[in-house]
Amino acid sequence: MRRKRKNNVNKQIASVHLTSKKWQTAVAILGVTFGVSMYIFMNSFMNGVNKAQDDLAFSNLAHIRIDNESEKRDYNPVSDKFPASTLFNIRDKKDIQSENDIKNTTEVMSVLKKQSEISNITAQLNFSVFFRSGSKKINGSISGVDVENENRMFGSASKVITGKWDDLNFQKSGLIIGKTLAENLGLKLNDNVNILTSDGISKNFSVIGIIETSVKEIDRSRAYININTARQVLGKNFDYSSDILVNLYDRNKTDQIVANTKSAIKYKMETWQEANQQLLAASQLRNIIAIAVSFAILLVAGFGIYNIMNMTINEKIREIAILKAMGFAGKDILNIFLTQASIIGLLGGATGLILGVGISSLVNRVPFKVAGLTTLPINYHTIDFMSAIVFGILTTIIAGYLPARKASKIDPVLIIRG
Amino acid sequence: MKTDHDHTKALEVKNVVKYFHDPSTFQVLKGVSFDVQKGEFLSIIGKSGSGKSTLLYVLSTMDTDYEGTLSVNGHLLTGQAQNTLSTFRNEHIGFVFQFHYLLPEFTALENVMLPAKKLGRFSLEEIEHNAYESLRLLDLEDQAMKSANKLSGGQQQRVAIARALINSPSVIMGDEPTGNLDSKNSLAVQDIFRNLAHEFGQTIICVTHDNDFARNTDRTIEMADGLIV
Ligand SMILES: Nc1ncnc2c1ncn2[C@@H]1O[C@H](COP(=O)(O)OP(=O)(O)OP(=O)(O)O)[C@@H](O)[C@H]1O
Ligand SMILES: [Mg+2]
Repeated sequence: MRRKRKNNVNKQIASVHLTSKKWQTAVAILGVTFGVSMYIFMNSFMNGVNKAQDDLAFSNLAHIRIDNESEKRDYNPVSDKFPASTLFNIRDKKDIQSENDIKNTTEVMSVLKKQSEISNITAQLNFSVFFRSGSKKINGSISGVDVENENRMFGSASKVITGKWDDLNFQKSGLIIGKTLAENLGLKLNDNVNILTSDGISKNFSVIGIIETSVKEIDRSRAYININTARQVLGKNFDYSSDILVNLYDRNKTDQIVANTKSAIKYKMETWQEANQQLLAASQLRNIIAIAVSFAILLVAGFGIYNIMNMTINEKIREIAILKAMGFAGKDILNIFLTQASIIGLLGGATGLILGVGISSLVNRVPFKVAGLTTLPINYHTIDFMSAIVFGILTTIIAGYLPARKASKIDPVLIIRG
Repeated sequence: MKTDHDHTKALEVKNVVKYFHDPSTFQVLKGVSFDVQKGEFLSIIGKSGSGKSTLLYVLSTMDTDYEGTLSVNGHLLTGQAQNTLSTFRNEHIGFVFQFHYLLPEFTALENVMLPAKKLGRFSLEEIEHNAYESLRLLDLEDQAMKSANKLSGGQQQRVAIARALINSPSVIMGDEPTGNLDSKNSLAVQDIFRNLAHEFGQTIICVTHDNDFARNTDRTIEMADGLIV
């Protein structure tokens, strides 16, 4: 009971201090408000940019891509069939370089499916072709896809602007073509197009859909067909593909999956981090900038609070001495000024949150029609709000503590004697 | 910290020596010794600069930088920690400064209530009641709600006296507590002090330049050049 009354008087003195110099208190609170709101805005904006960038990137990038290119270029069929000590001589090595594809798709996929981290797997059979329509002839590529899993991984169906993605399942000679490629070839829905592979195989397809992705290069050169049709065109069996694409629940666990399956899968496994190092670097750099800027803002806000608290204490030095003369202890004085700092921190933090969300949602309305975006991106993370509050209040308390400690050490006789 | 001294003594001052070091080292108090009985109304007089205020700050426990010993109500206070001393002051010592220091942002009533709130012995209602009583005693009840910086000098001094009385301290010290008052108010304060000493056994020690005031007290000690004469 007695203790409680003591605390109340300290709080009361703090609140009289805060309310008697309203503008000073307001300036201190505004400092925190500004720091916290900028912290929230900067981080939400950077998160938005990162997320937009990722969405864009992962709309055609799998977390892990398995193929048989480059890495096994020096594959030597002789060593598979003969003991290692066998002497051999290969002439004109180019002739035996055709081992570029995955011949045991089912086996590879069954190895991968045992990994619980994997959310989705799809196989592709990609090859280069000439598209021919009337007198026009354009170099491009065909992607033979597993219709359902491809859609699940990249949301392909939502990018089809004319026709239906699922029709690839029903129309064996149907093809969904990139928007720009269709325009360049003068193709419309249900038109026919001829493709010619590098091996000289020619086949007619009918356009059952037109697709528009956020990547210009794809829209200009690619068409999609059913993977089974692709195998037929190339004369390959059901177990044949060129790429196996894997998505994970947590895309940061790619290294773990690669490590787990490396021994069972003989092909090259490329993680998205390796394939898109600039993506990773850019998002990390943006995060560093966001953190640096927000800390600079909080530091400035903290310095402002420090100054104001110092000013207050210098102004009140006589009153502090009187309080001490009347029997208030050093820790009461510390308590009074820390209470002031905490109230400034709390009020500044709360208004900072509101202002931060306000600024962010305004920025979120600014039109920005580039690469699939419509407005400037904002993405709120709970952790940013929590750390903004924590840092805001911490800064205030640290900035308030130093002057408060000084105040608590004031020797009343020195002041009162004059 | 209870000492085996005479229990009728409110204050025991033994051989107090104090130096100031700024601008040059100089002995202000040169071995001051005296006792004050409980319920005694004592005045200290002396020329300006003789060390009266300096002595009073030592007696008030605020100044701890001295040689010699000080006991209040049998408690040896010399050498105690600052926190112990501030708690002791809050409960046992009321002080009226030479320059009446109030908290300017608080009302007269709040200024009087603060030491009692800090002590926390009574409920807020009781404290407010007591504070009003103190203010009424000093003819200030109509000024209770004014903030301290809007009061006249004499009114401020009386508020400071009311504040010194609020916790019913066993020792009340005043450094020219009536210096700013007209003779009527000065006499009123002297009556209050004498009454507190004689009816309630509180000990009063006042520094004064006013010979009438000094004559009105039980005993007067005179200081000259850092010594009691
Ligand atoms: N902080 C200080 N530093 C150095 N010397 C001081 C300090 N305070 C007081 N003195 C000196 O100590 C001496 C005693 O001062 P003190 O204030 O005790 O005098 P006083 O008797 O109260 O005088 P007055 O009647 O004018 O109030 C004076 O010579 C004064 O100049
Ligand atoms: Mg003096």
